[in-house]
Amino acid sequence: MRPPALTVERTLWWGPALVILVVLALGPLIFSDYYLSAVITKSFWLGIAAASLIFLAAYVGMVSLGQVALYGIAGFTMANLVAADGGSTIAWNPWVGTLAGILVAVAVGLVFGAISNRSYGIYFLMITLALGVLTYYFFAQVTQLSGFGGVNNVARPGIVSNPVGDPANLFYIALLASAGVYLLIRYVVRSPFGLALQGIRDDPSRMRSLGYNVPLLRMLAFGLGALIASVAGILSVWWNTRISPGSIDLSRTLDVLIIAVIGGLYRLEGAWIGAFFFVALDNWTRGVDIVGSRFNTVIGVIFLAIVLLSPGGLMGIWGSITDFVARRLSPARTAQPPVRPANETGPAPE
Amino acid sequence: MRDRSEKGRLRLWALLATLVLVVGVLAAGCGGDDDGDGEAAGTQADTSTGGGEASGEPIKIGIFSNNEGAFAPFEGQTWGGAMLPLIERGATPVSGDPTKGVENATIAGHPIEIVYGGSDSTPDKAVEEARRLVEQEQVDILIGPLSGSEGIAVANYSKEQPGTTFVNGISGAQDTTLKVRSPNFFRFHNDGTQWTAGLGDYAYNELGWRNVVTIGDDYDFPYSQIAGFVAEFCSIGGNVTKRLWPALGEEDYSSFITQIPEDVDGFFMGVGGTGTVAFVKQYGQLRGNLSDKIMGGIFMTDPVILKELGSQVEGVVTAGMTAGDSQEPAYLEYAEGLGTAYPELEGTASSVFAYGYYTAMQAIAEALEEVDGDLSDDHAAFREALSNLELDAPLGTIKLDENRQAIMDNFLQQIVADNTGDGVPDVKTIKTIPEVDQTFAGFFSPETPSPDRENPACEKAEPPPWTQQGGGG
Repeated sequence: MRPPALTVERTLWWGPALVILVVLALGPLIFSDYYLSAVITKSFWLGIAAASLIFLAAYVGMVSLGQVALYGIAGFTMANLVAADGGSTIAWNPWVGTLAGILVAVAVGLVFGAISNRSYGIYFLMITLALGVLTYYFFAQVTQLSGFGGVNNVARPGIVSNPVGDPANLFYIALLASAGVYLLIRYVVRSPFGLALQGIRDDPSRMRSLGYNVPLLRMLAFGLGALIASVAGILSVWWNTRISPGSIDLSRTLDVLIIAVIGGLYRLEGAWIGAFFFVALDNWTRGVDIVGSRFNTVIGVIFLAIVLLSPGGLMGIWGSITDFVARRLSPARTAQPPVRPANETGPAPE
Repeated sequence: MRDRSEKGRLRLWALLATLVLVVGVLAAGCGGDDDGDGEAAGTQADTSTGGGEASGEPIKIGIFSNNEGAFAPFEGQTWGGAMLPLIERGATPVSGDPTKGVENATIAGHPIEIVYGGSDSTPDKAVEEARRLVEQEQVDILIGPLSGSEGIAVANYSKEQPGTTFVNGISGAQDTTLKVRSPNFFRFHNDGTQWTAGLGDYAYNELGWRNVVTIGDDYDFPYSQIAGFVAEFCSIGGNVTKRLWPALGEEDYSSFITQIPEDVDGFFMGVGGTGTVAFVKQYGQLRGNLSDKIMGGIFMTDPVILKELGSQVEGVVTAGMTAGDSQEPAYLEYAEGLGTAYPELEGTASSVFAYGYYTAMQAIAEALEEVDGDLSDDHAAFREALSNLELDAPLGTIKLDENRQAIMDNFLQQIVADNTGDGVPDVKTIKTIPEVDQTFAGFFSPETPSPDRENPACEKAEPPPWTQQGGGG
């Protein structure tokens, strides 16, 4: 039997989610083509990239700075295998190219997982940062793959219409991909595999003594993170119609980290909330006279405020509000802490 | 589990304040999307209230250059150049900062609205910004971008937007017009290749160089610049032994400088943006005096950079589309106009950034005047006027080829000791090469490989007509 306070709490969590879903389902009718494409669709694929980071950070205790590199590997692989200006001259079917891009990114993810799976905390962070920088310089230097000045006009599968002229198509694809990624992660973290990962997050030594192969599980988790990131990479190339080394440089790596922290590094939904906040803010400040060219300053201040005041990010703020309202609506239950997803403020990696 | 006792009242207030900020931002973000008319927040200079004679439909012109990255220091120059044609037509600057736009701008009786944009020299960002200006702010005409790779991406994007006319800012990659050839993308200044006309000839015949190394940032614009130098220098018998490509925005050039063999006759320096000063200073520390060893791209004579470099580059020969020592009345008027409108830009008239954006806006203004601001039928008449325009620019006439790319004079220049007393070395024009076209006297065509790290190959060929071997003076 669930206590009544929980019902209020659940309403406060699921109500807005339902509204957002309905609004999104009707997106093309509500938003202008530009906003739909340049802000919302971009938020989806950036959100997926951030979700791959949040999955690793929140459930495995691996804060990775390599997710942009992995999505870049998927994007570059696909862009080179299909018809495009620049890069290799191979012109496969776009679907085959897409699949190959995802597979290569997952393979690279597993290899990097194998290299880094015994590192924890700051050392793991540094290794994945090295992956990011290495990948950037690889594509910047090997111009046979990045085609002087990037790979332009990358061919898309027929179902993905022109992202400028007819953005609704790609919007729905990105929406479905986001929903798929969300459900996949939710499913995985409830599976025995996911529970083992959370055990590793909390106490690797104990998991090892219980007989789990900790390095193997961490490697597989990193591979799963690469799979999610590769979806973001494919969508970003479809959305941009191009990819260049500048698409995956260090500042994009930081963007994804900032998005994850602003959204809430320990709540999965925070990935998309943070991405939307980031993209909408960028788009909006560019039109405002005083802050027009100072987006980085604005986002930096917000980042600081979030880190100092609400380490749980925007999702943490929302959590505080729902707690507050739930307590008000059910005064009898104030003493009892509401039941929350176990990992919201899960312990940071050691 | 969260420990509630830690949460003080202060923190709750701070959370609420942040939340209010968030909601405000999101509301504004959603609100600004569906009304693409004049009340969009980005319109900086709302001119609909000024100028009694401005009776026609307002025309929206978006302008963007770089407000982040290696070229951000030149944003003011680009904007100053772009604003000057409007100021010459009666507009007044909003402030001493050119990026704030102008008030009461009119062209051919149409009020002009300026919309601000800025990118960071990456193609992704440039297209995002172009999309925002075209699709959200709904500008009629877009001026920009600044940097080479950006130009190729924006020219490709322009094909998706046949209802908008694009005029290049100062991005100088060859492919932008020679390969992409978008019907609604115009460039009223020379590309990086054209800017080097005369340098190979001077290196070979005047300086007696035979073996040369090139160094340039690793992206499209320096590829184009070095392509021009290599094509000309090799066509008359020179040899390029090595091409070095540091990344754009590099700060430590020492490993590249040590790769330049001590025994080469000289090297062509195509490091631009914020890297030019760092490179020259580091070269001085590692190898000593460089003024007799180096030929420069357009950046060496940029007034801002020249001021930084000072006397250590005296004697260096460069080439480009501007001539800071010109005494032509039209040029003096242009230079004075820029310094009067924006005192901070005093002395920067010969910057290609200012001049490129100036010619863009000036061409737009003259073409609009020719058609009385008629932008109907997807700008058909306006584009016809732009294509056929013979722009009487301060440093000579500019006309377009069939790819809508400028054909104009190029100036071979030498940096000499300061005579004007401003502490900045002067620039002396030593030769004018008339009407350099994008094919570079036949070296390049839509079918030739795009300039890159290896292309064009260093080969002896038919010398261009402006070289001694080709019969030029």
